[in-house]
Amino acid sequence: MNKVRFGHSIVPYLFLLPQMAVVAVFFYLPAGEAVRSSFFLEDPFGFSSTFVGLDNYADVLSSTEYRRVAIFTVWFTVLVAFFALAIALLLAVKADAVLRGAKTYRTLLMWVYAIAPPVAGLLGILLFDQHVGPFVDIASWFGWTLRIGVNYYDTAFAMITTAVWYQVAVNFIFFLSGLQSIPRAVREAALIDCRSGLRRFFTVTLPLLTPTAFFLLVINVTYALFDTFGLIDPMTKNEPGNNPVTLVYKVFLDGFRGNDLGGSSAQSVILMIVVFALTVVQFRFMERRVHYA
Amino acid sequence: MKPYGIAAGLAAGLSLLSVNSAFAVTEISWWHAMGGALGETVNEIATNFNAAQDEIVLTPVFKGTYEETLTAGIAAFRAGEQPNILQVFDAGAATVIGAKGAVKPVQDLLEDAGASFDIEDYISGVRYFYADSDGKMIGMPFNSSAPIMYYNEEALEKAGVEAPKTWEEFEQIAPKLKQAGYIPLVQSHLTWEFTENFFSRHNLPFATNNNGYDGAEGTKLLVNTDGLKMMFAKLAAWKQNGHFEWYGTGWSDNQTPFEQGKVALWVGSSGSFGGLTKSATMPFGAVPLPYWEAIAGEDGYQSFIGGAALFAMAGKSEEENKATAKFFEYLTSPEVQLMWHKSTGYVPVTNAAYELAKQQGYYDETPQAEIGIQQLNMKAGEWTRGYRMGFYVQIRDVMNREYGKLFTGETTVDEAFKAIEAEGNQLLERFAKTGS
Amino acid sequence: MSDAVSAARPLAPASHRPAFKWGPVFDHAILIAGAAFMLVPVFLAFMTSTHDAVTVHTGGVQAWPGGSLIDNYATVMFDGLGFSGAVNGTTMMLNSLILGLGFAVGKIVLSMMAAYAIVYFRFPLAEFAFWAIFVTLLLPLEVRILPSYEIVQSMGLINTYTGLIVPLVASATGTFFFRQFFKSVPDELIEAARIDGAGPLKFFRDILLPLSRTMIAAIFIIMFVYGWNQYLWPTLITTNEEYFTLVRGIKQIIQVWVGSQIPEYGQAMALAVLAMLPPVIVVVVFQSWFIKGLTESDK
Repeated sequence: MNKVRFGHSIVPYLFLLPQMAVVAVFFYLPAGEAVRSSFFLEDPFGFSSTFVGLDNYADVLSSTEYRRVAIFTVWFTVLVAFFALAIALLLAVKADAVLRGAKTYRTLLMWVYAIAPPVAGLLGILLFDQHVGPFVDIASWFGWTLRIGVNYYDTAFAMITTAVWYQVAVNFIFFLSGLQSIPRAVREAALIDCRSGLRRFFTVTLPLLTPTAFFLLVINVTYALFDTFGLIDPMTKNEPGNNPVTLVYKVFLDGFRGNDLGGSSAQSVILMIVVFALTVVQFRFMERRVHYA
Repeated sequence: MKPYGIAAGLAAGLSLLSVNSAFAVTEISWWHAMGGALGETVNEIATNFNAAQDEIVLTPVFKGTYEETLTAGIAAFRAGEQPNILQVFDAGAATVIGAKGAVKPVQDLLEDAGASFDIEDYISGVRYFYADSDGKMIGMPFNSSAPIMYYNEEALEKAGVEAPKTWEEFEQIAPKLKQAGYIPLVQSHLTWEFTENFFSRHNLPFATNNNGYDGAEGTKLLVNTDGLKMMFAKLAAWKQNGHFEWYGTGWSDNQTPFEQGKVALWVGSSGSFGGLTKSATMPFGAVPLPYWEAIAGEDGYQSFIGGAALFAMAGKSEEENKATAKFFEYLTSPEVQLMWHKSTGYVPVTNAAYELAKQQGYYDETPQAEIGIQQLNMKAGEWTRGYRMGFYVQIRDVMNREYGKLFTGETTVDEAFKAIEAEGNQLLERFAKTGS
Repeated sequence: MSDAVSAARPLAPASHRPAFKWGPVFDHAILIAGAAFMLVPVFLAFMTSTHDAVTVHTGGVQAWPGGSLIDNYATVMFDGLGFSGAVNGTTMMLNSLILGLGFAVGKIVLSMMAAYAIVYFRFPLAEFAFWAIFVTLLLPLEVRILPSYEIVQSMGLINTYTGLIVPLVASATGTFFFRQFFKSVPDELIEAARIDGAGPLKFFRDILLPLSRTMIAAIFIIMFVYGWNQYLWPTLITTNEEYFTLVRGIKQIIQVWVGSQIPEYGQAMALAVLAMLPPVIVVVVFQSWFIKGLTESDK
């Protein structure tokens, strides 16, 4: 963990300045505005506003619907991050192992990443369409009547599948480059020391992959929480109804779609606090186990 | 702020130059949510308007969904960059009208510009939906439609029944339709078709404070009432015995089985026939949205419109407002309305355009196109003008959620309406606080 | 793929019988299944893009080619989509390209510099700076979009590429990524550099930068695609049709009044397939580059 570092000088400040400037203007200023407006109920046009103290927070936290959304978000995040990481790791290990066609597999597996989220969502709804979706036909072979948009859990299933599908490609790219940067000498030594492929994976490969894996864990949790927005929007057809949605999508529904600035700001602040706590935990407890060179 | 000031100065200088070089051309902008073929029709109207005169240049801009357009307009207004004309949808109207000073009432706009304005020129069901409690028109009704019932001709023939006029009649024929192998009834928008318009078709109050027109303060929903609860208890019962089916909140999820010929009766929009003509696998016709004779009496009342209106944003120069007024006059001329009606399926908003369509024999070719206007021209009542509720987008979300739970057996009618009432009123209360 | 590993690999599958080796077969089966899972939807998108709207509307996604291939693609590429006629598939592609490139380059430059400062320097604000930047992961742009709009507007950046790109750059993914990478760069390198008397700038330019080539390539892919696929921000920030992007074009095609018209699904899919191509090219080009770089950096 303890890197050799350069001493104190003006250089690091100069290097930090551009990013800090952009972040300050385009993140902290708007985020501060969100915190401020979470204490108000405000006419969206900005003509009038009432200071309501913590009422917005109380309204949000006492809502049973908000609790339902929060619980779904936890499940959604855990499942999406787990499957997207597990499938990508499996494929990366295999693509790293095969002799023939390795490059072809690599190219093919990276493709999906190029699809825009709204298009991925559109594909998702077409594939899972109640009346003409091929996945619904496939499910019916197993006696499963898949009804997206009607059954809460079926919709959740479709959302998670689409979200995992979309994220596997990025994880695959990173895992593969992580695997390939494991020095040749280490691989050869491992081959001699440890003949069981599975054991070799867990004792040698995985520890060496931890910097990548830790990075991807954080990125995937962030993805599931925030960036699935573009998929959920087309899949709920802009009419959430009784369908599952995530917390960020709810912020969007109430704030951007419904113009409830105070309520949605309170939700963003709550979300920020929770995710911040989660991140601190990730860094404090998980990063200790990360093996940097 | 500084760089913007310089830029604005520069822009002003440039526009001054261009003003001098050409005639005094006024540029106005129109943000809308009309994608696909509708957007093309909007562009065509703008092009024709620009070609018809040489003083005004109108530029329409597609800004995404209704919600995205409204929010973009609000954000722009806060920044002083608002367009001259903003298209706002039915459920978002309260936000715009509630914010006093965000828009210039269209009636004032037209009268200030010296144009003649008579609210009686507009079709009865359209007139007051975007007006204030004194009957002054605030937003110009633009794309307007009514919920009507489409029927599968083959299904009715096979079952040997007529399309129902009332829900009582529907209860009579539903078993026959089911026996003939069809799903008797499907709808596409539970809130617009079966909730809002339930109040309109039966002339029942939807909310206190004169359906919300008299102000946001203290407005409460009247949804937890016998009439509406009976309607949804019936729907739930019909679903139980196979007389009604529900495919989620997605509009087309519910329309598709009708197109496939599996459904006998489908409640859609008066504009739906254009798409149906291409996609339906069977001959179809249309009738007005049924009503309960037990509640409404002999005939039903007119329905609320769905769709959107054009609002003239405040904070524009007199010259630009005059230009906007000119465009509104052009837009409501019978010829333009008829062209809009024919190419999009939305109803014409003025009586003159309706007369012109009849004169030209348009409804002889396409009788389904007239049902919506007829329904909007039915008798008016105390509660058929419209409704005005803040955060109505979220209130609709609550309704849709509870209806979804109801039809999947997760809740009961009593519980559902209790929840809608409680959460809806909480939203209304919150909205009232934004305005004071 | 290095030859030594390849040659050594056949030793790997440990089995009791020296018979047929199932390992590679199993590997290929998993990869083929994975590739199918990933690619079938893309294939269906392409097939669907060759059909007319009504077929897709009534029949859903299509698995076989239809007759509207040229029609759909020509329409979206060359027909004007907006009011001014100034925007069609080609111009939208150019805008998306500018957005994707500008975003990726801006992000890489800023975040690499910041990560270098955080990892390689001992200074009092290092920890604070890292967290200050990292926190930006916690609130996506969608959530703070209205205040962001006001700030961009007050700077006079509405309808500019700067206003389109710079606010998107304010997020920590890139910095976090380079931090992870720099941390795993062996310490011997910096020690050697110091012994040679190289200062921080020289070390950055001559050692770290070449070493990061592959990582830059990887993050370029990610960031380019992210920028390329933006929807909500460009919609809000641009009113001038000259700035319309592809993803926005796709939305405009499919967003019609449901029920009254049938969305041009075929055209939307055609535009989606076209929108996929540049990122795919970037992915394919850069992947061979970063794999080559990686094997070279083998020690």
